[in-house]
Amino acid sequence: MTTSISATEVGLPPAPPEETARRRFTEIVAPYAYIAPFFVLFAVFGLIPLLFTFYVALFDWNPIGEHVFVGLDNFSRLAGDVRFWNAARNTVSIWLLSTVPQLLIALVLAHLLNHVRLRLALFFRMTMLVPYITSVAATAIVFAQMFDRDYGLLNWLLGLMGFEHIDFTQSVVGSHVLIAVMVTWRWFGYTALLYLASLQAVPRAIYEAAAVDGAGGVRQFRHISLPALRPVIVFTIVTSTIGGLQIFTEALLINRGAPNTCGPIRQCQTLTLFLFEQGFTQFKFGYAAAIGVALFVMVVALAGLNYFLSTRIRPVKG
Amino acid sequence: MAACSGSSSETSSGGSDSKSFEFWSFTGINAKGSAEEYKKIRPDVEIKLTEVGNAQETAQALTTALAGGKVPDLVLIQGDDLPKFVQQPQNFVDLRTMGADKIKGDYLDWVISQSTTKDGAIIGIPTDVGGMAIAYRADLFKEAGLPTDREEVGKLWPTWDAFIETGKKYTAATGKAFIDNAGGSIYSQVVNQGDQKYYDPAGNLVYEQSPQAKTAFDLALKAVAAGITAKQSTFTEGWSAAMKRGDFAVVSAPVWLLGSIRDNAPDTAGKWDIATIPGGSGNWGGSFLAIPKGAKNPQAAWDYIAATQSPQGQLDHFAQARSLPSTPSVYQDPKLTSVKDPFFSGAPIGTIYTNSLLGLKPFVIGPDSTTIGIEFTNAIANVEQGKGDPAKAWDAAVTNIKNAIGG
Repeated sequence: MTTSISATEVGLPPAPPEETARRRFTEIVAPYAYIAPFFVLFAVFGLIPLLFTFYVALFDWNPIGEHVFVGLDNFSRLAGDVRFWNAARNTVSIWLLSTVPQLLIALVLAHLLNHVRLRLALFFRMTMLVPYITSVAATAIVFAQMFDRDYGLLNWLLGLMGFEHIDFTQSVVGSHVLIAVMVTWRWFGYTALLYLASLQAVPRAIYEAAAVDGAGGVRQFRHISLPALRPVIVFTIVTSTIGGLQIFTEALLINRGAPNTCGPIRQCQTLTLFLFEQGFTQFKFGYAAAIGVALFVMVVALAGLNYFLSTRIRPVKG
Repeated sequence: MAACSGSSSETSSGGSDSKSFEFWSFTGINAKGSAEEYKKIRPDVEIKLTEVGNAQETAQALTTALAGGKVPDLVLIQGDDLPKFVQQPQNFVDLRTMGADKIKGDYLDWVISQSTTKDGAIIGIPTDVGGMAIAYRADLFKEAGLPTDREEVGKLWPTWDAFIETGKKYTAATGKAFIDNAGGSIYSQVVNQGDQKYYDPAGNLVYEQSPQAKTAFDLALKAVAAGITAKQSTFTEGWSAAMKRGDFAVVSAPVWLLGSIRDNAPDTAGKWDIATIPGGSGNWGGSFLAIPKGAKNPQAAWDYIAATQSPQGQLDHFAQARSLPSTPSVYQDPKLTSVKDPFFSGAPIGTIYTNSLLGLKPFVIGPDSTTIGIEFTNAIANVEQGKGDPAKAWDAAVTNIKNAIGG
């Protein structure tokens, strides 16, 4: 890289040659030094483990025994493994059931919290974070008790109203709903605050002008809030895709009778739980790594697809 | 995390520091108490005890530690997790080099054989075994018009069929469930009562043809069909709640389950009693102490094993923590036979549980035994929850097992 403009041409006094060289060197190096910490940390804790996972996936890898190279065998076995496809289905189902309501609730809440005449606004905004800072394990235990078949609060209420008890943890749909409720409960406040932060950047005057023009709350939401939120919505969709596909603790804890499979017929075993089962109870690290790679590909593909779609779908103008 | 203190530097070359060692145990077996006892005879030794988690979590942590190279000096491994480690004996100190040859005769031979490799190396010393019995609610039996005395109750069920018949009577009289679940209280007991479980004596997988597994499976389904189970999986919230409320009257209780009953339902103290298990004998569980190959202070760890796992040491630990000795020479000792548990109406648990071991036929436990057991009990649970077809359950379980251990 050579520059065609010299210091004298832009009106600066000529520097001694060795000083120019040194300054040029530091100017080139300094920015890289500033950004280096992130990339070094990313390499050590992100990239190297990732590459190592790809490597392990090519082996029949017993953590305390032999490592036998098997090429792509783990992947071909994975493709024919009903348990893998079951886990993939469960994961996508739970992800959809949790992400869609979560983002919608957060959107509406953020809009309400941004209202000018809301009393105790700060209090309400802070309470949004309570579910998020509660430990996942505590959340899962409390929800599992509330949704218990025989002794849960929810089924007790259903019973009072004359309905049959619902067996949340043992049925496919029930367990997915239960996990989705937990995930939604945990994340909606966090997402709502992200939206709120973005909304606060919109000048009040715009809302006031809209109100003067006769636009009600719903119209204001659609035509002012939503367009303003578009970038952060894209962001939350991508991050919740990444998070949603990695659901683990909730699924692990709601079915403690058969924890690693999340129930007798693997009805809510997610991909991460399947990975954990293979790696840490079966000691099949190679197979577990192959599941990890498959999960990685899925996350990248879905996050990319979501980004593609959500940047193209624009709010209706009108 | 250099485990040894700086003063004694030459840890790697023979002159090992036997004044301290790092010990990984799991919760619920009172390793702390055992360590404190040891401090009384060896006040000069420092034990760095970590209760890693439950038995399975401890085995997982050990696996990671062995793979990563930072290992404790001493580790407790549950019997069900042991075969995977026995298959990779290069990770452990062959305890014969420390003197295990001289003491191996102290232990039940079928138990110490579980930690002995094909070449004869001994990688673990058995700390306890899992004798079996039935815990029942005497007060609820009385309400149902059944006998309450533990001798009489034991006579109600010489066989598992008689056990299920008793259950039907109980359920008919009270309208309530008899047992907690069929997988835990029937299948897992029956399958541990034969001379062959999932492997033949040569170590080949035979779960599909195993008469014991099939018998256990069919009995469990029979109990489900009889409508005597509460459909509460062991160790879940519903299980604890049902136990507190007396919504089932009977739990098959290997000796290590007694603590869970006590902790889960403290208000039911004195209402429980213990009777013999149908079929009379059986073993489920037990643990082993092992020294990883990379241990910094194997000698200190071995000194601990030798002192605490002697017949006398195990006897003391039983009196204190209820873990059943794996050393048959103490089974007649008054210190064992006189132990009565007030929570269980003063049942002589020492005698009841050791008796269940005496008629025992040993069987081979292999690296996939746990997985196979889980798939069988899952298939039973699926029928129990009303989702699975009992006629197809066995085949479904076999398919799942093939998938799980082949994949």
